[in-house]
Amino acid sequence: MSLLEACVFATVLCGFFGIILKKNLMMKIISMDVMSTGVIAYYVLIAARGGLLTPIASDAQSGSYADPVPQAVILTAIVIGFSIQALMLVGVMKLARDNPTLESSEIEKNNTP
Amino acid sequence: MSNLLSTGLELLTQGSAIADPISLALRDTAPVAIVWMAIPFFVGFSSYLLPKLHRYLALGIALMSLVYGLQQLWAPVPLTVQLLDQFGVTLLIDSLSGYFIVTNALVTAAVVLYCWQTGKSAFFYTQMMILHGSLNAVFICADFISLYVALEVIGIASFLLIAYPRTNRSIWVALRYLFVSNTAMLFYLMGALLVYQASHTFAFTGLQNAPTEAIALIMVGLLTKGGIFVSGLWLPLTHSEAETPVSALLSGIVVKAGVFPLVRCALIVDNLGPLLGIFSVGTALLGVAYAVVETDTKRLLALSTISQLGFVLVAPAMAGFYALTHGLAKTALFLISGNLPSRSFQTLRQTPLYAPLWAALAIACLSVTGFPLLAGFGAKVLTLKDLEPWQAIALNLAAVGTVIALAKFLFLPVATQSKDAAPHTMPQGFWWAMILLLGSLVAANGLYLEVYTVTEMLKALLILGVGCLVHIVLVQRVVLKLPRMFERLDHLIGMMSLTLTALFWMVLT
Repeated sequence: MSLLEACVFATVLCGFFGIILKKNLMMKIISMDVMSTGVIAYYVLIAARGGLLTPIASDAQSGSYADPVPQAVILTAIVIGFSIQALMLVGVMKLARDNPTLESSEIEKNNTP
Repeated sequence: MSNLLSTGLELLTQGSAIADPISLALRDTAPVAIVWMAIPFFVGFSSYLLPKLHRYLALGIALMSLVYGLQQLWAPVPLTVQLLDQFGVTLLIDSLSGYFIVTNALVTAAVVLYCWQTGKSAFFYTQMMILHGSLNAVFICADFISLYVALEVIGIASFLLIAYPRTNRSIWVALRYLFVSNTAMLFYLMGALLVYQASHTFAFTGLQNAPTEAIALIMVGLLTKGGIFVSGLWLPLTHSEAETPVSALLSGIVVKAGVFPLVRCALIVDNLGPLLGIFSVGTALLGVAYAVVETDTKRLLALSTISQLGFVLVAPAMAGFYALTHGLAKTALFLISGNLPSRSFQTLRQTPLYAPLWAALAIACLSVTGFPLLAGFGAKVLTLKDLEPWQAIALNLAAVGTVIALAKFLFLPVATQSKDAAPHTMPQGFWWAMILLLGSLVAANGLYLEVYTVTEMLKALLILGVGCLVHIVLVQRVVLKLPRMFERLDHLIGMMSLTLTALFWMVLT
């Protein structure tokens, strides 16, 4: 479990440093996706602390269930993250017409007063 | 938003089944709150079907919120709604929410009036209504997940509003805003999970026994979203490069969506107060230091917003009233500065202003500086009343700095005759918006009449005098340029990690 947790944090940090260090705007957005994947994995991990069984009420088997609340919550967050990602990609598409290399420092220089 | 809505509908249908006395009393008010919260979204989307009506619908929604918010100001008991059980959505509506809702309503109404004749498309008004609705949701929610959803909707709606002109610059500014806010919200989401892990609820009250890292993660998200201290350095560019009505919305109310949860948490959790005290003093001084040397009108206003947020945050009990007065005045200032002949103070000093325009500008500036007769005075007095000595000294210093910065507007030349003035063609709704905003600033005095004592009035005049004096002696002659390096995207994101580290360290000690 703690190994998994370490992997989750490594994913989050990888994404975060990708946002800072990657020069290409597209790569920055993908890094942000990596970071959000890490956060989502963390929710799933915490939900599985109490047990691994799927929390569906049935008379088939009983045992220690995974906590359904964080999973339900993260579903909302996934959808929101997804739509933001889509929105940003549209923005980048528009910017790519005049800045084909998508270098964020160049775009920033051209568009800051 | 969908989970909030579905649980709301569930409550509506099950309302009759609830039997215990407290719920019985709430049965009438809770559905009203939920319906009121949901209407802007329904109307916003359906305004596409009624293209001729979108302006009226937007104005109607703002007025509806105004009525609802005013009602909450005088509500005897706070309304608490718990949908489902401890895991579900928690709402808390009291006078603090009331102030923020009223601010939201007045700012939105003023911006709609301003845009009335400018030919904005239905898309613009739809986004504005959705923004209005999600802001309302922030001001009434009391759990971290509803807050997360509302804040993200605000981020999306603001992105679309900033990018509305579809120029490269506006798209870049919007993209940068969404980048910073979404990264901050990812940290926040991790913090929310740690709160849940500790107390098996997402409600704000769970923060009391949450681990220190949860507090640090949540705070870094909200501080960034609210534009406070170094994590708020994204704000000057975003607010100054957006279109006039959008920057008025952003500065007037949208940043307060980040501040409100901090205030709410500070009122619930005791040990958060000192921490926020440090940040609010820091942001008050940082914003003012940048604003004093600024030479661009809109950037100066945006930097002054950073500084004023410190005043909102420093006294959580009085935050509502301060946010109201600041929101009204700052919206007016942004709308006016969009109609000045130039954005550079250097050019403005050579072109005499149309007298009524200058008068409106002066009233709004004086309210921010805390001049008696305007509501800003009462807000400042109440905020500075019960502070620690070091905070009071720092904030009085920041108040003088605010005067120095805004004196640049006050000392602009005025044309004695209308024909000497710089060309002034304002949108038709401009004066209606001004009447609404400035009228409310005067009317809001009535909420706290007891602050008008001789000593306080003398103190306010002294601050104004000192500020103007410093402006005349020093600022008009010296030109200083501060580096804008820290406003680059990489630095903004990097700053987030530094803030996070600092917060960890501060929470631990």
